[in-house]
Amino acid sequence: MPFKQKEVQAYRRDEMFGHQLLTPEERIKMLKPYLPPLPPKASQRAALEPKPRFGLRRFLKNQLHLLVFTIIHTIFSLYIKTRQAIHAISNRIYSVLHYHHHTPEYIERDVKGLGRLPKHLSVILTLEDDGRGGAALERLVNEVSDVAAWCASAGIPQLSIYEKSGILKGYLEETHRAVSQKLAAYFGPKPPALSMGAPHLRAIESAFASSRAGRAESGKDAKHLSVLLLSAEDGRDSLVDLTKTLAEMSQRSKLGPADVKMELIDAELSESVMGEPDLLLLFGPHIELAGYPPWQIRLTEIFHVQDNQGVGYQVFYRGLQKYAQAQMRMGR
Amino acid sequence: MSDLYLSRVRSWFLRSPPAEWAINKTREVLIGALRQGPIPQHVAFVMDGNRRYARSHKIETIEGHHLGFEALARVLEVCYKCGVKVVTVYAFSIENFNRPKYEVDGLMQLAKLKLEQLMQHGELLDRYGASVRVLGQRDLISPDVLEVMDRAVSTTAHNTTAVLNICFPYTSREEITSAVRATVEEFSRTPRPHSTPFSQSRITQKILSQQGDNEEPTSPVRDPSPTPSWTRTRAEDPEGSVSSSTTLPPDSPPSKFGGEATKVTIFPNAENITAETIDSHMYTAGDPPLDMFVRTSGVERLSDFMLWQCHQETQIFFLKCFWPEFDLWHFLPVLVEWQWRQKQKERDEIKPRGRAKLA
Repeated sequence: MPFKQKEVQAYRRDEMFGHQLLTPEERIKMLKPYLPPLPPKASQRAALEPKPRFGLRRFLKNQLHLLVFTIIHTIFSLYIKTRQAIHAISNRIYSVLHYHHHTPEYIERDVKGLGRLPKHLSVILTLEDDGRGGAALERLVNEVSDVAAWCASAGIPQLSIYEKSGILKGYLEETHRAVSQKLAAYFGPKPPALSMGAPHLRAIESAFASSRAGRAESGKDAKHLSVLLLSAEDGRDSLVDLTKTLAEMSQRSKLGPADVKMELIDAELSESVMGEPDLLLLFGPHIELAGYPPWQIRLTEIFHVQDNQGVGYQVFYRGLQKYAQAQMRMGR
Repeated sequence: MSDLYLSRVRSWFLRSPPAEWAINKTREVLIGALRQGPIPQHVAFVMDGNRRYARSHKIETIEGHHLGFEALARVLEVCYKCGVKVVTVYAFSIENFNRPKYEVDGLMQLAKLKLEQLMQHGELLDRYGASVRVLGQRDLISPDVLEVMDRAVSTTAHNTTAVLNICFPYTSREEITSAVRATVEEFSRTPRPHSTPFSQSRITQKILSQQGDNEEPTSPVRDPSPTPSWTRTRAEDPEGSVSSSTTLPPDSPPSKFGGEATKVTIFPNAENITAETIDSHMYTAGDPPLDMFVRTSGVERLSDFMLWQCHQETQIFFLKCFWPEFDLWHFLPVLVEWQWRQKQKERDEIKPRGRAKLA
């Protein structure tokens, strides 16, 4: 409850003088009207309960609250429906205005004006319908290749894609092929080299890059994109696995509990899973991390477009814009 | 100029007693109304924007922190009246020690002062049934502040309805590290022997003497008793070695008892470590899962706060307002949206089940 202005002033004056003006008793007196009643002791409560008059009042109060609750939620769902509609339309307009036409040059031009780019971009994608049927998987692969193509065009060297179930890890080769095709569709004859991997799995390099001739030919301005596929098991589970290993080592007295330091965990996790991403894009309507690796997300800029549904270039572009504007202060 | 005039008129109106009364009643009704729906059990706040608020209002930085504290008191009141069980606030990050010294000292003094006051009004927290806990790296706090904190924690420990977690000096990575360390420690300790009146060595001695009669020299050596090494070495070992030398037949190697058995230590299986094990060593062990994460001042990062707790199903909200401005009016839309999403989720959960039934 907001305090009366007079009391707030008295409190602040008192505070300014280092709480010398008011005695604790005075302060308590000031507070008293705002506090809820003391919780009655068990014996008192029993004595209070049977009185019916209180029950009626409470009933009426409850009804009032229920009414207000219903009103609030009715208004709110109206509000959110309109908000969603407005956002859907504006997002659509935005995406039409900023369409990339599958041309890297357009994306490059978009990105050129930005002060800085993330070196490591991370996205969270979701598999619809729990992956039943091939359509959802196909769609997911399509989304992966879209995002990868945008990253390659924008010049972001590292992309990590989080998808909770980890279904993509089982189709590493197929995904690699699909993304390569998409890159070829964007870049034409000389697509950027692509390596796709997942924690604890060997990365697949594109044939182009692995051949030495290709590398020499493309020279230094050749783009290289590495894509990392993540799933829920790279989050908590990897920390649990690390703890198991550390515990076993400690049992064999290869290390003491005191050796478990932040640097050690950080080094291990960035070695076996990934480092910290600079920017995390969510394509969902609100922010929910759905088991994203916790250790790595410490200082990551998180971006989502309110009420957005589906993977779209405008989210990607706006995320990059937001990232370019954000400043890091590191607690200072 | 007219802008200033308008705002003055507005504040004059809002401060007039009838308006104040009406606002208070509205707040009460709104809070009561919110209680009708689902309420998050655990809410975390990043109190960001005190300094930017101070800068934009041309007041001292520390003044901004004081106003931030008032906002905290307001928010806590709303939360507890709504029925939130646990509120976790990010009061001070380990990274904050990089700030100018006078500000760090000011914040420390602020924390000390407020906690001291809180204890003078001992019943204040009792009315909400709230207990205070301080989460973080204690050895970084100066002893005088630490003393006050410990006192605050112990005087409110008996309250069980609600909890206020103050993260002071805290970072989530440090928390995870300490949880991992504690887990490793737990699993590299030998289990404590059951306190039983039966002495294991006496039993072995009995068996040995019986078997000595039966002339079965090999079986006692295979005894797989999980005697922890230290119990043996401390008290029973001399006894054991004496017994072995007296009762064992001369052909069985005496070193089996004196040497090897003392070294056998049985550890709990490290494969049994789960996320819950680590969870139980977090500072927030025992608290309900984090339902809502609120950060003010428009910064969209977690900034090393509640990483382990909020990366699963927590709803994360980034608000534009600065923390000192934060009040029921900012919190209400967030809470209502949370309730709305919760309802949406329930509906989504029911739908596929219905579809499955149809199929």
